Amino acid sequence: MLLNLLLIMKHSFIDKYSHLQSPIHRVDPRIKSITLTLFILFIIFTPPTHFVSFSFYALLIFILILFSQVPVGSIFKRSLVIIPFVLMIAIFIPFLKKGEIAGGYSFGTFQLTVTYDGLTVFWNVFIKSYLSILCLILLSTTTKFSHLLKALESLKFPQIITMIISFMYRYIFVLVDELMRMKRAKDSRTVGGSRLFHIKILANIVGMLFLRSYERGERVYTAMVSRGFDGEARTLGQFHLRKRDIGYSFIVIALLGLIRFGGG
Amino acid sequence: MHIPDGFLSPSTWVPAWLLSIGGMSYCLRRVARILKEKMVPLMGVTSAFIFAAQMLNFPIAGGTSGHLIGGVLAAVLLGPFAGAIVITTVLTVQCVVFQDGGLTALGANILNMSIVGTMGGYLIYLGLRKVIGGNRGIIAGVAVAAWASEVLAASGVAVELAISGTSPLRVALPAMAGVHMLLGLGEAIITCSIIGFVLKVRPDLIYQPPLPEAGQEEE
Repeated sequence: MLLNLLLIMKHSFIDKYSHLQSPIHRVDPRIKSITLTLFILFIIFTPPTHFVSFSFYALLIFILILFSQVPVGSIFKRSLVIIPFVLMIAIFIPFLKKGEIAGGYSFGTFQLTVTYDGLTVFWNVFIKSYLSILCLILLSTTTKFSHLLKALESLKFPQIITMIISFMYRYIFVLVDELMRMKRAKDSRTVGGSRLFHIKILANIVGMLFLRSYERGERVYTAMVSRGFDGEARTLGQFHLRKRDIGYSFIVIALLGLIRFGGG
Repeated sequence: MHIPDGFLSPSTWVPAWLLSIGGMSYCLRRVARILKEKMVPLMGVTSAFIFAAQMLNFPIAGGTSGHLIGGVLAAVLLGPFAGAIVITTVLTVQCVVFQDGGLTALGANILNMSIVGTMGGYLIYLGLRKVIGGNRGIIAGVAVAAWASEVLAASGVAVELAISGTSPLRVALPAMAGVHMLLGLGEAIITCSIIGFVLKVRPDLIYQPPLPEAGQEEE
Protein backbone atom coordinates (compact mmCIF):
# COMPACT_ATOMS: atom_id res chain seq x y z
CA MET A 1 0.00 0.00 0.00
CA LEU A 2 2.73 2.39 1.05
CA LEU A 3 4.71 1.50 -2.03
CA ASN A 4 1.87 2.19 -4.41
CA LEU A 5 1.14 5.54 -2.85
CA LEU A 6 4.75 6.61 -3.09
CA LEU A 7 5.21 5.40 -6.62
CA ILE A 8 2.18 7.26 -7.87
CA MET A 9 2.82 10.46 -6.04
CA LYS A 10 6.63 10.54 -6.10
CA HIS A 11 8.16 13.54 -4.42
CA SER A 12 5.30 15.69 -3.38
CA PHE A 13 3.58 12.94 -1.51
CA ILE A 14 4.70 13.57 2.04
CA ASP A 15 4.08 17.29 2.16
CA LYS A 16 1.42 17.35 -0.50
CA TYR A 17 -1.25 19.29 1.37
CA SER A 18 0.82 20.92 4.08
CA HIS A 19 1.30 24.13 2.11
CA LEU A 20 -2.44 24.87 2.03
CA GLN A 21 -3.61 27.88 3.98
CA SER A 22 -6.45 27.03 6.30
CA PRO A 23 -7.35 27.74 9.92
CA ILE A 24 -6.08 24.26 10.83
CA HIS A 25 -2.81 24.69 8.93
CA ARG A 26 -2.09 27.94 10.72
CA VAL A 27 -2.41 26.50 14.23
CA ASP A 28 0.90 26.28 16.09
CA PRO A 29 2.35 22.81 15.41
CA ARG A 30 2.98 22.19 19.10
CA ILE A 31 -0.63 22.92 20.02
CA LYS A 32 -1.85 20.86 17.08
CA SER A 33 0.26 17.82 18.02
CA ILE A 34 -0.86 17.94 21.64
CA THR A 35 -4.52 18.45 20.79
CA LEU A 36 -4.68 15.64 18.27
CA THR A 37 -2.74 13.27 20.52
CA LEU A 38 -5.25 14.03 23.27
CA PHE A 39 -8.03 13.39 20.76
CA ILE A 40 -6.61 9.92 20.07
CA LEU A 41 -6.31 9.21 23.80
CA PHE A 42 -9.92 10.27 24.34
CA ILE A 43 -11.03 7.93 21.57
CA ILE A 44 -9.01 5.03 22.92
CA PHE A 45 -10.20 5.40 26.50
CA THR A 46 -13.89 5.55 25.56
CA PRO A 47 -15.73 2.27 26.32
CA PRO A 48 -16.93 0.60 23.09
CA THR A 49 -20.60 0.78 24.05
CA HIS A 50 -20.70 4.61 24.14
CA PHE A 51 -22.06 4.84 20.63
CA VAL A 52 -23.17 8.46 21.04
CA SER A 53 -19.65 9.55 22.03
CA PHE A 54 -18.18 7.87 18.97
CA SER A 55 -20.65 9.55 16.63
CA PHE A 56 -19.75 12.93 18.07
CA TYR A 57 -16.02 12.19 17.84
CA ALA A 58 -16.59 11.35 14.19
CA LEU A 59 -18.57 14.55 13.68
CA LEU A 60 -15.86 16.64 15.37
CA ILE A 61 -13.02 15.15 13.34
CA PHE A 62 -15.09 15.53 10.17
CA ILE A 63 -15.66 19.22 10.90
CA LEU A 64 -11.91 19.69 11.52
CA ILE A 65 -11.15 17.94 8.21
CA LEU A 66 -13.60 20.23 6.39
CA PHE A 67 -11.95 23.28 7.95
CA SER A 68 -8.53 22.02 6.86
CA GLN A 69 -9.53 22.13 3.15
CA VAL A 70 -7.65 18.87 2.52
CA PRO A 71 -9.66 16.86 -0.07
CA VAL A 72 -11.87 14.42 1.84
CA GLY A 73 -11.37 11.73 -0.81
CA SER A 74 -7.61 11.68 -0.34
CA ILE A 75 -8.02 11.37 3.42
CA PHE A 76 -10.44 8.50 2.94
CA LYS A 77 -8.01 6.73 0.61
CA ARG A 78 -5.17 7.05 3.10
CA SER A 79 -7.33 5.80 5.95
CA LEU A 80 -7.72 2.43 4.19
CA VAL A 81 -4.26 1.46 5.50
CA ILE A 82 -5.91 -0.16 8.53
CA ILE A 83 -8.11 -2.54 6.49
CA PRO A 84 -5.78 -5.60 6.59
CA PHE A 85 -5.57 -5.44 10.36
CA VAL A 86 -9.31 -5.01 10.80
CA LEU A 87 -9.92 -7.98 8.52
CA MET A 88 -7.50 -10.08 10.52
CA ILE A 89 -9.41 -9.34 13.73
CA ALA A 90 -12.66 -10.14 11.92
CA ILE A 91 -11.29 -13.60 11.13
CA PHE A 92 -10.46 -14.23 14.78
CA ILE A 93 -13.87 -13.18 16.10
CA PRO A 94 -15.65 -16.53 15.71
CA PHE A 95 -13.04 -17.97 18.04
CA LEU A 96 -13.91 -15.68 20.93
CA LYS A 97 -16.24 -18.05 22.71
CA LYS A 98 -17.39 -16.05 25.71
CA GLY A 99 -20.87 -14.55 26.01
CA GLU A 100 -24.25 -14.86 24.39
CA ILE A 101 -24.36 -16.25 20.89
CA ALA A 102 -25.46 -13.80 18.21
CA GLY A 103 -25.48 -16.19 15.30
CA GLY A 104 -23.61 -19.08 13.81
CA TYR A 105 -22.96 -21.36 10.89
CA SER A 106 -22.15 -25.01 10.91
CA PHE A 107 -20.07 -26.83 8.35
CA GLY A 108 -20.81 -30.49 9.00
CA THR A 109 -19.39 -31.19 12.40
CA PHE A 110 -17.44 -27.91 12.54
CA GLN A 111 -19.36 -25.07 14.14
CA LEU A 112 -18.62 -21.38 13.87
CA THR A 113 -20.44 -19.11 16.26
CA VAL A 114 -20.26 -15.39 16.71
CA THR A 115 -20.98 -14.03 20.18
CA TYR A 116 -22.09 -10.52 21.11
CA ASP A 117 -18.84 -10.13 23.02
CA GLY A 118 -16.92 -10.98 19.89
CA LEU A 119 -18.87 -8.39 17.91
CA THR A 120 -18.15 -5.80 20.60
CA VAL A 121 -14.43 -6.51 20.34
CA PHE A 122 -14.63 -6.05 16.59
CA TRP A 123 -16.62 -2.82 16.82
CA ASN A 124 -14.18 -1.58 19.47
CA VAL A 125 -11.05 -2.00 17.35
CA PHE A 126 -12.74 -0.89 14.15
CA ILE A 127 -14.16 2.42 15.35
CA LYS A 128 -11.19 3.33 17.53
CA SER A 129 -8.56 2.58 14.91
CA TYR A 130 -10.54 4.39 12.22
CA LEU A 131 -11.13 7.58 14.20
CA SER A 132 -7.53 7.59 15.46
CA ILE A 133 -6.11 7.24 11.98
CA LEU A 134 -8.23 10.19 10.84
CA CYS A 135 -6.65 12.29 13.62
CA LEU A 136 -3.16 11.24 12.56
CA ILE A 137 -3.89 11.94 8.90
CA LEU A 138 -5.23 15.36 9.80
CA LEU A 139 -2.06 16.12 11.76
CA SER A 140 0.29 15.00 9.00
CA THR A 141 -1.59 16.64 6.12
CA THR A 142 -1.87 20.03 7.81
CA THR A 143 1.65 20.32 9.22
CA LYS A 144 4.94 20.65 7.37
CA PHE A 145 7.17 17.75 8.34
CA SER A 146 9.99 20.05 9.44
CA HIS A 147 7.55 21.97 11.65
CA LEU A 148 6.29 18.74 13.15
CA LEU A 149 9.83 17.72 14.04
CA LYS A 150 10.57 21.09 15.57
CA ALA A 151 7.35 20.87 17.55
CA LEU A 152 8.37 17.46 18.87
CA GLU A 153 11.73 18.88 19.83
CA SER A 154 10.28 21.79 21.75
CA LEU A 155 8.04 19.30 23.54
CA LYS A 156 11.21 17.70 24.95
CA PHE A 157 11.32 14.77 22.54
CA PRO A 158 14.98 13.57 22.57
CA GLN A 159 16.85 15.78 20.13
CA ILE A 160 19.04 13.00 18.83
CA ILE A 161 15.98 11.14 17.51
CA THR A 162 14.47 14.21 15.86
CA MET A 163 17.83 15.00 14.25
CA ILE A 164 18.16 11.46 12.86
CA ILE A 165 14.59 11.64 11.56
CA SER A 166 15.17 15.02 9.90
CA PHE A 167 18.24 13.61 8.15
CA MET A 168 16.34 10.55 7.09
CA TYR A 169 13.57 12.74 5.73
CA ARG A 170 16.01 14.75 3.64
CA TYR A 171 17.61 11.70 2.07
CA ILE A 172 14.52 9.57 1.48
CA PHE A 173 13.88 11.38 -1.81
CA VAL A 174 17.50 11.21 -2.94
CA LEU A 175 17.76 7.48 -2.23
CA VAL A 176 14.34 6.58 -3.62
CA ASP A 177 15.28 8.39 -6.81
CA GLU A 178 18.57 6.52 -6.96
CA LEU A 179 16.83 3.21 -6.36
CA MET A 180 14.23 3.85 -9.05
CA ARG A 181 16.95 4.86 -11.50
CA MET A 182 18.76 1.56 -10.96
CA LYS A 183 15.46 -0.33 -11.16
CA ARG A 184 14.63 1.36 -14.48
CA ALA A 185 18.06 0.51 -15.86
CA LYS A 186 17.59 -3.11 -14.82
CA ASP A 187 14.05 -3.31 -16.23
CA SER A 188 15.14 -1.95 -19.61
CA ARG A 189 18.01 -4.44 -19.88
CA THR A 190 16.57 -7.68 -18.51
CA VAL A 191 13.83 -9.51 -20.37
CA GLY A 192 12.71 -13.00 -19.43
CA GLY A 193 14.96 -15.01 -17.16
CA SER A 194 13.98 -17.02 -14.13
CA ARG A 195 12.47 -15.56 -10.99
CA LEU A 196 15.60 -16.31 -8.99
CA PHE A 197 17.68 -14.40 -11.52
CA HIS A 198 15.51 -11.31 -11.05
CA ILE A 199 15.58 -11.61 -7.27
CA LYS A 200 19.35 -11.81 -7.40
CA ILE A 201 19.69 -8.68 -9.52
CA LEU A 202 17.23 -6.76 -7.38
CA ALA A 203 19.20 -7.82 -4.30
CA ASN A 204 22.39 -6.55 -5.94
CA ILE A 205 20.63 -3.24 -6.54
CA VAL A 206 19.68 -2.98 -2.88
CA GLY A 207 23.23 -3.91 -1.88
CA MET A 208 24.58 -1.24 -4.21
CA LEU A 209 22.13 1.26 -2.75
CA PHE A 210 23.45 0.45 0.71
CA LEU A 211 27.04 1.07 -0.33
CA ARG A 212 26.10 4.36 -1.93
CA SER A 213 24.01 5.42 1.08
CA TYR A 214 26.75 4.54 3.52
CA GLU A 215 29.35 6.44 1.56
CA ARG A 216 26.96 9.33 1.15
CA GLY A 217 26.46 9.37 4.92
CA GLU A 218 30.21 9.65 5.45
CA ARG A 219 30.48 12.39 2.80
CA VAL A 220 27.64 14.32 4.39
CA TYR A 221 29.34 14.02 7.75
CA THR A 222 32.65 15.35 6.42
CA ALA A 223 30.84 18.21 4.74
CA MET A 224 29.10 19.03 8.00
CA VAL A 225 32.29 18.91 10.04
CA SER A 226 34.02 21.22 7.57
CA ARG A 227 31.19 23.69 8.16
CA GLY A 228 31.57 23.58 11.92
CA PHE A 229 29.14 20.83 13.00
CA ASP A 230 29.72 19.85 16.62
CA GLY A 231 26.88 17.45 17.25
CA GLU A 232 24.18 20.01 17.83
CA ALA A 233 21.64 21.45 15.41
CA ARG A 234 20.79 25.13 15.69
CA THR A 235 17.82 26.45 13.83
CA LEU A 236 16.57 29.94 13.16
CA GLY A 237 12.95 30.83 13.63
CA GLN A 238 10.92 30.02 16.67
CA PHE A 239 7.26 29.21 17.08
CA HIS A 240 5.16 31.91 18.62
CA LEU A 241 2.16 30.94 20.67
CA ARG A 242 -0.81 33.09 19.80
CA LYS A 243 -4.02 33.48 21.75
CA ARG A 244 -5.90 32.00 18.79
CA ASP A 245 -3.92 28.75 19.04
CA ILE A 246 -4.66 28.33 22.72
CA GLY A 247 -8.29 29.16 22.03
CA TYR A 248 -8.48 26.52 19.30
CA SER A 249 -7.00 23.85 21.49
CA PHE A 250 -9.25 24.85 24.39
CA ILE A 251 -12.37 24.54 22.24
CA VAL A 252 -11.41 21.11 20.87
CA ILE A 253 -10.43 19.72 24.28
CA ALA A 254 -13.59 21.14 25.88
CA LEU A 255 -15.69 19.51 23.15
CA LEU A 256 -13.85 16.20 23.67
CA GLY A 257 -14.53 16.38 27.41
CA LEU A 258 -18.16 17.19 26.78
CA ILE A 259 -18.57 14.29 24.35
CA ARG A 260 -16.88 11.84 26.68
CA PHE A 261 -18.31 12.81 30.05
CA GLY A 262 -21.31 14.98 29.25
CA GLY A 263 -24.75 13.43 29.23
CA GLY A 264 -23.55 10.45 31.28
CA MET B 1 2.37 -5.99 10.88
CA HIS B 2 2.12 -2.34 11.97
CA ILE B 3 -0.54 -2.37 14.69
CA PRO B 4 -2.96 0.59 14.37
CA ASP B 5 -4.38 2.55 17.30
CA GLY B 6 -7.30 1.00 19.15
CA PHE B 7 -6.19 -2.63 18.82
CA LEU B 8 -4.26 -2.71 22.07
CA SER B 9 -5.57 -2.07 25.57
CA PRO B 10 -3.81 0.55 27.73
CA SER B 11 -2.49 -2.28 29.91
CA THR B 12 -0.56 -3.44 26.83
CA TRP B 13 0.54 -0.33 24.99
CA VAL B 14 1.71 1.63 28.02
CA PRO B 15 4.20 -1.05 29.18
CA ALA B 16 5.22 -1.59 25.54
CA TRP B 17 6.02 2.12 25.23
CA LEU B 18 8.03 2.06 28.44
CA LEU B 19 9.97 -1.03 27.34
CA SER B 20 10.79 0.41 23.94
CA ILE B 21 11.78 3.81 25.35
CA GLY B 22 14.13 2.03 27.75
CA GLY B 23 15.52 -0.21 25.02
CA MET B 24 16.02 2.64 22.58
CA SER B 25 17.77 4.92 25.06
CA TYR B 26 20.15 2.05 25.84
CA CYS B 27 20.81 1.56 22.10
CA LEU B 28 21.35 5.31 21.60
CA ARG B 29 23.89 5.41 24.41
CA ARG B 30 25.74 2.38 23.03
CA VAL B 31 25.89 3.76 19.50
CA ALA B 32 26.76 7.31 20.55
CA ARG B 33 29.77 5.95 22.42
CA ILE B 34 31.18 4.50 19.19
CA LEU B 35 30.03 6.94 16.53
CA LYS B 36 30.01 10.21 18.52
CA GLU B 37 28.84 13.17 16.41
CA LYS B 38 29.06 11.07 13.25
CA MET B 39 26.02 9.16 14.44
CA VAL B 40 23.31 11.57 13.28
CA PRO B 41 24.19 11.79 9.57
CA LEU B 42 25.10 8.10 9.30
CA MET B 43 21.99 6.82 11.10
CA GLY B 44 19.82 9.27 9.17
CA VAL B 45 21.07 8.24 5.76
CA THR B 46 20.96 4.51 6.54
CA SER B 47 17.40 4.90 7.86
CA ALA B 48 16.49 6.47 4.54
CA PHE B 49 18.21 3.50 2.87
CA ILE B 50 16.07 0.94 4.75
CA PHE B 51 13.00 3.02 3.93
CA ALA B 52 13.89 3.06 0.23
CA ALA B 53 14.81 -0.65 0.22
CA GLN B 54 11.38 -1.49 1.64
CA MET B 55 9.83 0.08 -1.44
CA LEU B 56 11.40 -2.33 -3.91
CA ASN B 57 9.06 -5.16 -4.86
CA PHE B 58 10.56 -8.61 -5.27
CA PRO B 59 8.77 -11.22 -7.40
CA ILE B 60 7.69 -14.07 -5.08
CA ALA B 61 5.73 -17.21 -6.00
CA GLY B 62 3.11 -16.82 -8.71
CA GLY B 63 2.17 -13.26 -9.57
CA THR B 64 2.60 -11.97 -6.05
CA SER B 65 5.43 -9.84 -4.84
CA GLY B 66 6.78 -9.01 -1.44
CA HIS B 67 9.06 -6.44 0.02
CA LEU B 68 11.84 -6.42 2.53
CA ILE B 69 11.35 -5.56 6.21
CA GLY B 70 15.07 -5.11 6.66
CA GLY B 71 15.50 -5.57 10.41
CA VAL B 72 18.13 -8.28 10.17
CA LEU B 73 19.70 -6.58 7.15
CA ALA B 74 20.20 -3.41 9.20
CA ALA B 75 21.55 -5.33 12.19
CA VAL B 76 24.02 -7.38 10.13
CA LEU B 77 25.34 -4.29 8.33
CA LEU B 78 25.31 -1.78 11.19
CA GLY B 79 25.33 -3.87 14.37
CA PRO B 80 22.39 -4.68 16.64
CA PHE B 81 22.10 -1.32 18.43
CA ALA B 82 22.43 0.91 15.38
CA GLY B 83 20.16 -1.50 13.46
CA ALA B 84 17.46 -1.18 16.11
CA ILE B 85 17.71 2.63 16.01
CA VAL B 86 17.39 2.64 12.24
CA ILE B 87 14.28 0.43 12.31
CA THR B 88 12.76 2.58 15.08
CA THR B 89 13.32 5.70 13.00
CA VAL B 90 11.68 4.08 9.98
CA LEU B 91 8.71 2.94 12.10
CA THR B 92 8.28 6.41 13.59
CA VAL B 93 8.25 8.08 10.18
CA GLN B 94 5.86 5.45 8.83
CA CYS B 95 3.54 6.12 11.77
CA VAL B 96 3.58 9.91 11.68
CA VAL B 97 3.77 10.47 7.94
CA PHE B 98 1.97 7.49 6.42
CA GLN B 99 -0.20 6.39 9.36
CA ASP B 100 1.26 2.92 8.95
CA GLY B 101 0.83 1.87 12.58
CA GLY B 102 -0.80 3.91 15.30
CA LEU B 103 0.59 6.49 17.69
CA THR B 104 -0.29 4.68 20.91
CA ALA B 105 0.69 1.37 19.31
CA LEU B 106 4.06 2.74 18.14
CA GLY B 107 5.71 1.50 21.34
CA ALA B 108 4.44 -2.01 20.68
CA ASN B 109 5.52 -1.82 17.04
CA ILE B 110 9.01 -0.73 18.09
CA LEU B 111 9.09 -3.53 20.64
CA ASN B 112 8.09 -6.15 18.05
CA MET B 113 10.20 -5.07 15.13
CA SER B 114 13.19 -3.19 16.54
CA ILE B 115 13.80 -5.00 19.77
CA VAL B 116 12.41 -8.51 19.32
CA GLY B 117 12.78 -8.71 15.53
CA THR B 118 16.04 -6.87 14.90
CA MET B 119 18.04 -7.45 18.05
CA GLY B 120 16.62 -10.95 18.58
CA GLY B 121 17.38 -11.76 14.96
CA TYR B 122 20.91 -10.46 15.41
CA LEU B 123 21.52 -12.80 18.35
CA ILE B 124 20.46 -15.78 16.23
CA TYR B 125 22.72 -14.60 13.41
CA LEU B 126 25.66 -14.11 15.74
CA GLY B 127 25.26 -17.57 17.27
CA LEU B 128 25.15 -19.35 13.89
CA ARG B 129 27.99 -17.24 12.52
CA LYS B 130 30.21 -18.27 15.42
CA VAL B 131 29.27 -21.96 15.19
CA ILE B 132 29.69 -22.36 11.42
CA GLY B 133 32.34 -19.70 10.81
CA GLY B 134 33.54 -17.96 7.65
CA ASN B 135 31.38 -16.51 4.90
CA ARG B 136 29.19 -19.60 4.91
CA GLY B 137 28.46 -18.95 8.56
CA ILE B 138 27.45 -15.36 7.79
CA ILE B 139 25.07 -16.41 4.99
CA ALA B 140 23.54 -19.27 6.98
CA GLY B 141 23.18 -17.02 10.02
CA VAL B 142 21.52 -14.29 7.97
CA ALA B 143 19.08 -16.76 6.39
CA VAL B 144 17.89 -18.26 9.65
CA ALA B 145 17.87 -14.92 11.48
CA ALA B 146 15.87 -13.11 8.78
CA TRP B 147 13.28 -15.89 8.79
CA ALA B 148 13.14 -16.08 12.58
CA SER B 149 12.90 -12.32 13.03
CA GLU B 150 9.68 -12.22 11.00
CA VAL B 151 8.19 -15.12 12.94
CA LEU B 152 9.26 -13.60 16.27
CA ALA B 153 7.87 -10.15 15.44
CA ALA B 154 4.57 -11.68 14.27
CA SER B 155 4.34 -13.75 17.45
CA GLY B 156 4.90 -10.54 19.40
CA VAL B 157 1.90 -8.98 17.63
CA ALA B 158 -0.23 -12.05 18.42
CA VAL B 159 0.76 -12.04 22.09
CA GLU B 160 0.03 -8.31 22.44
CA LEU B 161 -3.37 -8.70 20.78
CA ALA B 162 -4.14 -11.59 23.11
CA ILE B 163 -3.12 -9.64 26.23
CA SER B 164 -5.41 -6.83 25.05
CA GLY B 165 -8.30 -9.29 24.69
CA THR B 166 -8.63 -8.47 20.99
CA SER B 167 -8.04 -12.02 19.79
CA PRO B 168 -7.54 -15.35 21.56
CA LEU B 169 -3.91 -16.48 21.78
CA ARG B 170 -4.53 -20.11 20.83
CA VAL B 171 -5.86 -18.98 17.43
CA ALA B 172 -3.93 -15.76 16.81
CA LEU B 173 -0.47 -17.10 17.63
CA PRO B 174 -0.51 -20.12 15.29
CA ALA B 175 -2.18 -18.06 12.57
CA MET B 176 0.22 -15.11 12.73
CA ALA B 177 3.33 -17.24 13.23
CA GLY B 178 2.23 -19.68 10.50
CA VAL B 179 1.64 -16.99 7.89
CA HIS B 180 4.95 -15.35 8.71
CA MET B 181 6.80 -18.66 8.54
CA LEU B 182 5.94 -18.51 4.84
CA LEU B 183 6.55 -14.77 4.40
CA GLY B 184 9.80 -15.14 6.32
CA LEU B 185 11.16 -17.38 3.55
CA GLY B 186 11.01 -14.42 1.16
CA GLU B 187 12.72 -12.17 3.70
CA ALA B 188 15.44 -14.80 4.18
CA ILE B 189 16.10 -15.18 0.44
CA ILE B 190 16.21 -11.43 -0.18
CA THR B 191 18.35 -10.60 2.86
CA CYS B 192 20.79 -13.40 1.99
CA SER B 193 21.19 -12.17 -1.57
CA ILE B 194 21.85 -8.61 -0.42
CA ILE B 195 24.38 -9.67 2.22
CA GLY B 196 25.97 -11.99 -0.36
CA PHE B 197 26.48 -9.00 -2.65
CA VAL B 198 27.96 -6.81 0.10
CA LEU B 199 30.24 -9.70 1.13
CA LYS B 200 31.55 -9.85 -2.43
CA VAL B 201 32.17 -6.14 -3.01
CA ARG B 202 32.73 -4.52 0.40
CA PRO B 203 33.17 -7.26 3.03
CA ASP B 204 34.56 -4.64 5.39
CA LEU B 205 31.11 -3.07 5.70
CA ILE B 206 29.63 -6.15 7.38
CA TYR B 207 29.43 -5.33 11.08
CA GLN B 208 32.11 -7.13 13.07
CA PRO B 209 31.03 -7.89 16.63
CA PRO B 210 33.60 -6.25 18.91
CA LEU B 211 36.14 -8.69 20.31
CA PRO B 212 36.31 -8.83 24.10
CA GLU B 213 39.77 -7.25 24.28
CA ALA B 214 39.40 -4.81 21.36
CA GLY B 215 36.19 -3.38 22.80
CA GLN B 216 35.79 -0.25 20.67
CA GLU B 217 35.65 -1.42 17.07
CA GLU B 218 34.51 0.85 14.33
CA GLU B 219 30.80 0.59 13.74
